[in-house]
Amino acid sequence: MSKPLLVALHEVRIYLRDKGDLAFSLLLPVITFALMYGAFGGQDTFHGTAHMVNEDKGGVYSDLLVERLDALDILDVTLHSSKDADARLDRADLLLVFYIPYGFSDELSEGDQAELLVKQRGNGGDEGQIVASIVRSVVDDLAQEFHVRAQVSEAVEGEGISDEQVAATVDYFIAQQREDPTAHVREEALGGSSDPVETFLPSILTMYVLFAVTLTARAIVEERRKGTLERLMTTRLEVTQLFTGKFLAFCARGLVQTLILMLLAYAVFQMFTPASFFQSVAIVVVFLAAVSGLGLIIASVARTEDQAVWIAVVFTMVMVILGGTFFELPESGVLATLSNVSVNTYVNEALRAVINEGRSLADVGAQLAVLAVVAVVSLVISRFLFKVMPGGR
Amino acid sequence: MTDKFVIAKNLHKSFNGHKAVNGVSFHVGKGEIFGLLGPNGAGKTTTIRILSTVLQPDRGDVLIGGHSIRKNPDSVRRLIGVCPQELALYEELSAMDNLVFFGRMVGLSGSEAKAQAVARLKLVGLRRRARGRVDKFSGGMKRRVNLAVSLMGHPRLLFLDEPTVGIDPQSRNNIYETIEGLRSKGMTVLYTTHYMEEASRLCDRVAIVDGGHIIAMDTPLALRSRIGPPESVTLEDVFLKLTGRSLRD
Repeated sequence: MSKPLLVALHEVRIYLRDKGDLAFSLLLPVITFALMYGAFGGQDTFHGTAHMVNEDKGGVYSDLLVERLDALDILDVTLHSSKDADARLDRADLLLVFYIPYGFSDELSEGDQAELLVKQRGNGGDEGQIVASIVRSVVDDLAQEFHVRAQVSEAVEGEGISDEQVAATVDYFIAQQREDPTAHVREEALGGSSDPVETFLPSILTMYVLFAVTLTARAIVEERRKGTLERLMTTRLEVTQLFTGKFLAFCARGLVQTLILMLLAYAVFQMFTPASFFQSVAIVVVFLAAVSGLGLIIASVARTEDQAVWIAVVFTMVMVILGGTFFELPESGVLATLSNVSVNTYVNEALRAVINEGRSLADVGAQLAVLAVVAVVSLVISRFLFKVMPGGR
Repeated sequence: MTDKFVIAKNLHKSFNGHKAVNGVSFHVGKGEIFGLLGPNGAGKTTTIRILSTVLQPDRGDVLIGGHSIRKNPDSVRRLIGVCPQELALYEELSAMDNLVFFGRMVGLSGSEAKAQAVARLKLVGLRRRARGRVDKFSGGMKRRVNLAVSLMGHPRLLFLDEPTVGIDPQSRNNIYETIEGLRSKGMTVLYTTHYMEEASRLCDRVAIVDGGHIIAMDTPLALRSRIGPPESVTLEDVFLKLTGRSLRD
């Protein structure tokens, strides 16, 4: 077996023997995924709560309004007593409450104008404004339905058609209109995703892979501290073989962590197709190679573990910020130019293209080529910078 | 000249203007145990690092088994085993795993490395603790593993840099016996220590180093004879007379 492979297996053996490190590194992706699931699980659009006081309990239209609002996927309805709602508004526990006044249904039935009262603190908050607009549209719908029914009843009065028949016919036409509206809004996707998991998963994946920088950066310094580096350099192991072995080991370790996260995302959010899954794995492998290579450069210049960790942390932050990991970068300007130096830019572009846009590896060939070049060049540079000790080979 | 296995010629090494090694020359015969004695900072460890190919000398050269450390360090590495002053071990792993790994690094096959590891652990009295994690071992046991690792691959020249520091008398005695056993098999040893009685017991010849150069070199008996009757003079007396009594950093 070749020496780099022996070094890599040796590194893996050490990793497996340290139970604490092993448990932490395997649990970390699971915990991250649990946080993602808790934050985004099953929620891909706006979801709000309409806080209501129904003083017209038992009324046909008031109950119907509550029922219609509660049936909406994007809204939950929480009913309060009038006293409780007032108190909570006073305490600013709630910012906006809808009051259905007593007699609301009767007024509608008698053809009078019925009013829904909204009490709000300030502008009611962002969520409150959206909820208010949803409630208004449902109330408008209800009022229109009632109005149409009343108009039709009046028009056919004396023709022997019962109110029930009128209501059933009007309901039928309203349902038909809802299903196939005369005017409707057409949505056109222009790239990107409204799904927060799809938006953030590529970024979280790249963050995981970036952890490999710190691990790799520490690896050589730790060998130096333990004295094993000097001892290894008196054997027949070449520095290049040592570096290649470490490089392979940390690529493998990073891949295991990332695979756990990806498999969970695949299983729970169904956000990959089999093809996009394997393409993403390929992108992650190339990125891991680039990042491990950069980690070895840090390892070559750092003299202590603290130095290695801090350089790696600063490097990671710069890459994340310039790489548009958690926010979109502008298409032109200084930041856009600077983003070209971040490896994250290329991997984020590649992963987003494959995961969110369903494109193939061939479409992201340029990004993969940049990352592969970074990996090879980093390995070469790190070898030239490395010295077993000052004055040494 | 054929019996000279190590020939160090006019070695110089400086760090940031400080001359750590300043014109060191000596030779070590085949099967000889050669001691390098000296106070802290005398240049012993730097000399061993140069000889073991870790450091490049600024000037001078060393021939080991006829191979130059400058021109042919790879060939030199095939001949040497190094037991460093620090415990250069992977403490998370077992003694066996450490020996097998370093065995593979010196070019042994998997089965050879395992067979040699078992033999070396037996030699240092740790055969029954082969599977124990090194971080659970006592200081003396770790030192013995450190020595056993340096014997992997049948080196012809062994560097022992203070191999008995901070261990109990039993472990120290085991190390002495191991080294004496290696000498009887013809292994050449270059030994550094602060313990003068250790040097007297083990070394055929010693060089006393101070300020980066050798200030005396001979057999322990001949060195003792220089300052008085050898039966009433110790090597420590010689050492203190030559290097002075002032404290060193």
